[in-house]
Amino acid sequence: MTLAALSEERSLRPAAQPGDTSEAMLRLLTCGSVDDGKSTLIGRLLWDAAGVTDDQRAQIMNASHARAVNGERIDFSLLLDGLVAEREQGITIDIAWRYFETERRRFVIIDSPGHEQYTRNMATGASHADIAILLVDARHGVKRQTRRHAAICDLVGIKKVVLAVNKMDQIDWSEDRYREIEIDFRSLASNFSFAEISSIPVAALTGANVVARSDEMPWYGGPTLLEYLESVEAKTEPVDAPFRLPVQMVLRAENDFRGYAGTVTSGTIHVGDPVVDARSGLGATLQRITTMDGDLESASTGDAVTLVLDTDLDISRGAVLTETQRRPTNADVLEARLVWMSEKPFDPEAGYLLRSATDLTPVTSMSVSSLIDFETLSSTQAHGCSMNDIADCRILLGRSTALDLFSDLRLTGNFVLVNALDGATVAGGVITWVQSGAASAGENVLVLDQARLAGLCADLGDTPEDKAEYERRAQEVAILLRSAGVPVLIETDR
Amino acid sequence: MTALTSHLKLLEAESIHIFREAAAQFRTPVLLYSIGKDSTVLLHLARKAFWPAKLPFPLLHVDTTWKFREMIVFRDRTVSEMGLDLIVHTNHDGASKNINPFDYAPSVYTDIMKTQALRTALDNGGFDAAFGGARRDEEASRAKERVFSFRASGHSWDPRLQRPEMWQLLNGRLGKDETVRVFPMSNWTEADIWRYITLENLEVVPLYFAEERPTVERDGQILMVDDERMPLKPGEQPVMRKVRFRTLGCYPLTAAIESEATDLESVVAETLDARVSERAGRLIDHDEAGAMEMKKREGYF
Repeated sequence: MTLAALSEERSLRPAAQPGDTSEAMLRLLTCGSVDDGKSTLIGRLLWDAAGVTDDQRAQIMNASHARAVNGERIDFSLLLDGLVAEREQGITIDIAWRYFETERRRFVIIDSPGHEQYTRNMATGASHADIAILLVDARHGVKRQTRRHAAICDLVGIKKVVLAVNKMDQIDWSEDRYREIEIDFRSLASNFSFAEISSIPVAALTGANVVARSDEMPWYGGPTLLEYLESVEAKTEPVDAPFRLPVQMVLRAENDFRGYAGTVTSGTIHVGDPVVDARSGLGATLQRITTMDGDLESASTGDAVTLVLDTDLDISRGAVLTETQRRPTNADVLEARLVWMSEKPFDPEAGYLLRSATDLTPVTSMSVSSLIDFETLSSTQAHGCSMNDIADCRILLGRSTALDLFSDLRLTGNFVLVNALDGATVAGGVITWVQSGAASAGENVLVLDQARLAGLCADLGDTPEDKAEYERRAQEVAILLRSAGVPVLIETDR
Repeated sequence: MTALTSHLKLLEAESIHIFREAAAQFRTPVLLYSIGKDSTVLLHLARKAFWPAKLPFPLLHVDTTWKFREMIVFRDRTVSEMGLDLIVHTNHDGASKNINPFDYAPSVYTDIMKTQALRTALDNGGFDAAFGGARRDEEASRAKERVFSFRASGHSWDPRLQRPEMWQLLNGRLGKDETVRVFPMSNWTEADIWRYITLENLEVVPLYFAEERPTVERDGQILMVDDERMPLKPGEQPVMRKVRFRTLGCYPLTAAIESEATDLESVVAETLDARVSERAGRLIDHDEAGAMEMKKREGYF
């Protein structure tokens, strides 16, 4: 399409009036392999759906001409790639956040990098998204990085995925090729727990099926990308979820005011309801829900409030206030799936901290049991993991903390691992299994020390590989014993 | 109770969450207060986050000595009415050398009186975290920044080394010599700011509202003659114009716009209208696009 034609086409949609959007805000991620056209697709969406101001339009037109990268065309990716290095190299390094509204909906667009080395930035973006647009170049189909991105979307809890088969103009708008890619993707997606998978054939450069319906693909009867995005339901909160409020800080003020400040991560609480501190099991009655705008009768998911209880529970940051019935587990051992994001590989001897909700807990020991193979998407046995890997692991905590399963409650079931020395965030993970009592059972704990494991590990020496194998066997034995009800602590000073 | 839309409620709750996470994790935070509309919202959100307790950190204003007089009046009144703890920092070395926006290039002046002054103030106070009112919708590189934005020693930002920031989890553990800038309003847009100010009934500096003010026109921009320090060019005479400001900074570097908007509602309407008229002014774009295409064709063929 020429510039002149583009200018004509721009009047397709009326300018949105801010504030009158009816649908809930949608946070959407674009991901996929490098050069599949993510930034171009989003740039095109913004351009056609009136999310670009005139000075930006002029700038982009100028810059596109200066670079002449796409011949006659406008380089829409310039709308997103805001870092100097990104513009110089023509790639996306870090995620870009864009905000725009149509008359139907308010959008937050998170554009993520496709390069493998910047996967951690993609994971950051994915964790904030309600739905993901996964791009595939119609000429090349599903690639290794496509599978990795799908796995990360699944890991961070995205339930709805749109497969956008891009560059349809490059394959003569072939329905056969499109169906082939769609089937390929649906088959790989069966490895994950996505609730809804849609697919749309598009051409970001020409705009086909992005905002305007394409004449070239009469065989496609589904919605355009924007039609889909305007009508798709954002992430839905389960009805009647159990109440959780991780305490961020204790607020004290005049007249002996003492309140627990935090954001409700799930459920609803009313004044007069009983609440429990999940770690100590101590209970109290909710007396007041205070805000600067006045007291509330109830607070629900997403509300940032301060709770005043009728009795002092002597709790602080890191505690989770919960309803009495469905409580989190006060756990000191957990299994998780995580994405490793540090350039330094996982080191069983390094000191890590587990940051969950508002708590920070020392990790006593950690072992990797398997990695996802991005060719087959199956799990393969492993003892280590390095940057951009997705690993299943077991983590033993130095003390117990209140945790949920991620599949039950996202915001009390996720965590990041922090390097205790330099503070770096090395991994982001979701809890798949928890158990309490391993470290706190006192004298009844069976300590798995070197002497007890001598026979099992008689073939192991002092190499790092052998040490890791020792750790793995110890963890396996511990898990078996724990599943039989025997509290176990692994003696890690080997 | 509150008239906020569900969207603004969500943004507000997210900002409060960020304030509390930062206050709980950093030892000595400070709030960068620059008196404008974004700072007004930032301060309001901070008070909500810790109410009924007092703000657990001081405010810091870097005063270049060239701010609008009305801004300083507003600042001092706000601080005394709300009982806030305010630190004012000026680069006195620069001021004594008379580094001013008229005799020095704006970039030199800004570096010495604002950027250097801010670094010194943060170092002097030993602050490990500074709250700022920046938003991702402001500018393309800001659109890439994290909520907890880590700075190496010397306050430098390396966009290639940003920490992952997943879900609602904010990791505030600092490495050696690291400090952090915290942006609780990262996900707000300019329109959100004005809607919030309106619905929360917040007071802003009167300079945002149109009034007859003494002005001169230079290089097509209207500047306000805020005090006698402004050197007038030969034959230049201040003229009373009905103007207001869309952003506030140092008066010699901040252009006014002619406007009839004298209250919040009309300012909001004008802000939103301005966007529409920018779009409506697409005729120029058409011409430019066409002209550019012609040139390209000429070069191409």
